[in-house]
Parts: sequence; structure tokens; C-alpha cells
Amino acid sequence: MALQKECACGDTSAVTGGKRRIIFPCAGVANVGQISNAAAHRLTDEGYGAATCVALLGTGDAGLKQRIAEADEVVIIDGCPVICGKKIADAQGLIPAQHIVITSLGIDKAYGKPVTGDDVELVVSAAWEGKGRHQ
Amino acid sequence: MKIEVLGTGCMKCRRLFKNVEVAVKELGITAEIVKVQDISEIINRGVMLTPALAVDGEMKVSGRVVDVQEIKEILKG
Repeated sequence: MALQKECACGDTSAVTGGKRRIIFPCAGVANVGQISNAAAHRLTDEGYGAATCVALLGTGDAGLKQRIAEADEVVIIDGCPVICGKKIADAQGLIPAQHIVITSLGIDKAYGKPVTGDDVELVVSAAWEGKGRHQ
Repeated sequence: MKIEVLGTGCMKCRRLFKNVEVAVKELGITAEIVKVQDISEIINRGVMLTPALAVDGEMKVSGRVVDVQEIKEILKG
């Protein structure tokens, strides 16, 4: 197998023009909650936005509210139709630009089921493609 | 239309390429999508930060992955 060339992508945090997004995964304990967490981290690594704790949002933290006010979009990734992340956002008066529900992408909810790379890729792609946007 | 994704093949470059493929498919247009992975060519094209996106030779975005919606807007002109 050929060696991967050194990547030329640097820290692009100073690059302007992209949307500043905050990503809240529900981070539940079932597989879909864990997929939401892994997808949020992957999206952060890919420069889509910044993964942030939905539990912190639930506390009404003033610093987080300030970050949200400065962001362009909020994206919520819920694992299942219970939509805990969306309900926490609703309670804080927060309207997300995207709301992705992982089970609606065809992944079944199960406790203890291993998280696969394909599962994470499906959710990450859905975010980049805007599948959770209001129609 | 020729769409070039410039980058040496890291995660961000691969994501941009995939997003371009999705955008082209959703728009229903015909386009040649090319990966430019040679670092010398990337530098010669004036790109300081990858990934970068060029359409018909014109550099549109550099230094970040563009989402599908924004790519569609770029392609629609």
C-alpha cells in the first residue's frame, strides 16, 4: 500500500467565508447516541463546526449562550425519535438550522451494538448534505 | 464544466470531493470532477491552504470544506 502523502491542510480556523456552526449530539448511551457523539467529533475534525455538550446547553450556561449568539448555525444530532437534544434546545428557545435523527437515516437503535465507521459516515454525510434542514 | 478538488488526499479533501459529487448529482448537471493531488501543482495554482475548489479553472474556495448547499450555489453561478 502506498504511503499517504503529508497533508497540506493546516489549521484553517482563521479562514473566513465558512459558516460557524455549533453541533450538539444527544450523546445517549444506546448505539445511536454514541454514533451521534462520534459523528459530531468527526464533523469537528473535518471543519464543519464545533461539537459541544448538549448537557451544558441544558444548564443554560451564559458562556455557551454567547457562543451560540455568535454562531451562524446550530446543528442537533439526535439518536432516536425521543429527540432529547431537540427538546433541550427547545427549552432554551434555540431553533436549529439542522436537526438530524439517526434512526430516520436507517440505523436501528440498540443498546450495546457496536458503532461502525459506516454508521458514523452516514450521519456525517447527512450533515454535510443538509439532510436535517427544514424543508 | 470541469470541477477540480485540490488537496493531497486527507480527510478534508476526501470530504470536499464527496460533497462535490453529491452536489453535481443533485443538480443533475454533467461535470468532470477531478482530484488534483500533486503538491507542486497545487502550489503552482496559488493555493496556500487546502482543500480548495476550482470551477473551470477559477479558484472558488480555499482552506475549508464546503457543504453541499454552498457547492450547489457556486455551480449555479
